[in-house]
Amino acid sequence: MNLSDNAKKVLERSMQQNRVSDEERKDILDVVAIMPDDRVLLYKNVVSNPIGDLPRYSIHIRIQHMLTFVTFLTLAFTGLPIHFIDTVWSEPLNSLLGGVNVTRIIHRTLASVMIFSMIYHIFTITFGPLLQISRGRFDIYRTIIPTFKDITDFKDDMLYFAGKRDQRPEMDKFMYKQKIHYFAAAFGNLVMVISGSSFLFPEFWASILPTSIAAHFQELMRLSHPHEALLALLVIAFWHWYNVHLAPGRFPMQWTFLTGMITREHQIEEHFLEYLRNLVEIPEERRFLQDLLESRELVPETETPVNSKPVSEQSTP
Amino acid sequence: MKQYLLRSASMFLLLVIWMTNVQAFQDDEGCLMCHKYPMMGRITGEGVFRSYYIVPGIFEKTVHRNVPCRDCHNYIKELPHKPVKQGVTCNTECHSITNPATGKPFSHKPIYDTYRKSVHGRDKLTKTSDSDKPYCITCHTNPLYNPKEDKPPSKIIDRCVVCHEKRQFAERWYNHTSRRIKEVRRSSEDIVAICSNCHGKKEFIERRKELAKKEGRELGPKFAFAIDSYKDSFHGKLTRIGFTETANCLNCHANEVNYYKSVHEIRPSRDPLSPTHDNNRVKTCQKCHTYADANYAQLDPHPTSDKEDNPFRYFAEMIYNWVGYIVIAGLVGISMFETFGRWRDGVGLFIRQGSSWWRKSKRGRKRVV
Repeated sequence: MNLSDNAKKVLERSMQQNRVSDEERKDILDVVAIMPDDRVLLYKNVVSNPIGDLPRYSIHIRIQHMLTFVTFLTLAFTGLPIHFIDTVWSEPLNSLLGGVNVTRIIHRTLASVMIFSMIYHIFTITFGPLLQISRGRFDIYRTIIPTFKDITDFKDDMLYFAGKRDQRPEMDKFMYKQKIHYFAAAFGNLVMVISGSSFLFPEFWASILPTSIAAHFQELMRLSHPHEALLALLVIAFWHWYNVHLAPGRFPMQWTFLTGMITREHQIEEHFLEYLRNLVEIPEERRFLQDLLESRELVPETETPVNSKPVSEQSTP
Repeated sequence: MKQYLLRSASMFLLLVIWMTNVQAFQDDEGCLMCHKYPMMGRITGEGVFRSYYIVPGIFEKTVHRNVPCRDCHNYIKELPHKPVKQGVTCNTECHSITNPATGKPFSHKPIYDTYRKSVHGRDKLTKTSDSDKPYCITCHTNPLYNPKEDKPPSKIIDRCVVCHEKRQFAERWYNHTSRRIKEVRRSSEDIVAICSNCHGKKEFIERRKELAKKEGRELGPKFAFAIDSYKDSFHGKLTRIGFTETANCLNCHANEVNYYKSVHEIRPSRDPLSPTHDNNRVKTCQKCHTYADANYAQLDPHPTSDKEDNPFRYFAEMIYNWVGYIVIAGLVGISMFETFGRWRDGVGLFIRQGSSWWRKSKRGRKRVV
């Protein structure tokens, strides 16, 4: 396979960080070389285990996701009947929980669990990279931090879906969609915590803010809490659940949030640069891929040098 | 229909039993000579029957049971009396009852005078634009049944009658005093409901706005939204769900120094003596919010999204709504577009035999099987 310049850099950086021997380096480059130039053919032909083949999320991230999604849904379940108290549907929901006064207590208790989850996550994303830096294995492109490439990835992906481009872009461990979603959720959580605390401790917020904005802040928070909650719920229902449950190939669900593993075909299709790192870090994956490509007769007849023109830059036939 | 008749009959029966079971009040002035007839009354110009019938058993249960008729209807000088033009006002003196504190005839005049000076004050029979303001009986409806006036415990009355002899006197005295010792404030929900009778009515608000415009005076900034905005506020929502510790209308608009007096002297927020005046708001907030400061007092207890009342909130809400619509429409659109693109390339709904790319691609690259 002819790798793009960016993919070559990612592969090289990964090999350096993992301090691979010359023998391993040759092995990795050989496997990359026998991969078909057309990445579509690659992810269409690999074999995947529905519960996942390759590592993606640590146990900490999975626990945080679990805490966040359980508290998010139950917070929505208890918060909406409090806000829409006068609606027909709020009455049975509140009654189910023991009345609106009980619902309020449950809501606040769950909120504190969600805040704990946020703090846990902040610790993870602070100390995880510090640990990687100390081991000399930190790669900023492997993190959720947005880069300019995300914008070009988005554009290229849309062109691919429209049939104007032959390949999906080579995306990293976190693609543009996941980055938007992550920061939307982080921002949303922050808004919910601040606005929620402004309901519980209005005197505190009024005392620390300048006079000119104290009242506006409180009004904005009063608006933000229900609007942000409703928006988050709709985004989760229409977009997140679509991406992880309903999208073709992901149905009935991606197991990643439980197993921490991603399927091989998904990794190659949407996170190709991370797959290259997997080839460096997991020798078994190299063997598996090599055997698979040979058994399916997908190995190119003549090996081409790795610095030739990448497929992603070719025009659509 | 059957159920309705049954209910009516039961109610009537209960009423008869109740009325015959109570002792009639003492009619020393002979008013019942005429007013004992159920059909006594007149039909007004609007065709409404106004009953002048006094039911002794019912009057016996009211707070005015010890007041002779002519203490209030003091314009009646002879029997049969002349047509009544003015009716009863609440500031007359009850000559038959002495105020034990002053030794003078009892009267509601002090509280009446306080009320007259308030923003709600009016004469009973006024023909001016103030006629839509509340009079005493708008709020004090003199209920026929008051649970706090149920029969007192006999073990207490037994002790009283040892010296005070008359059991009825002891019971009434007990009820009179114990009712005032017990909390007699209306519940927050009741207070909001009473205020809503006028401040929640669109016609009343429009009429008052029109009048203020004509007279060239300014109404309070929240006059038009008082009830709706309260119900949207935290205070209103907590009151709505039965939380008793939250502020109702009177907690902020009446001065707490003497609650029972101050609820009768409510002033507009522009009046420096009003608890909602800018100079007094911190103190008013601190009644409940101990740590409230000047910033806190700036928070709007009557939040609205009205463009003129609160343009900041109006535009913020508008932006929130549009962001919501655009985000949801955008994300659903992108998801549909993505599905369309991948579907054309042969992706299946779920993983089958190790791959989800088992469908035929319209873009020419097939899975090797």
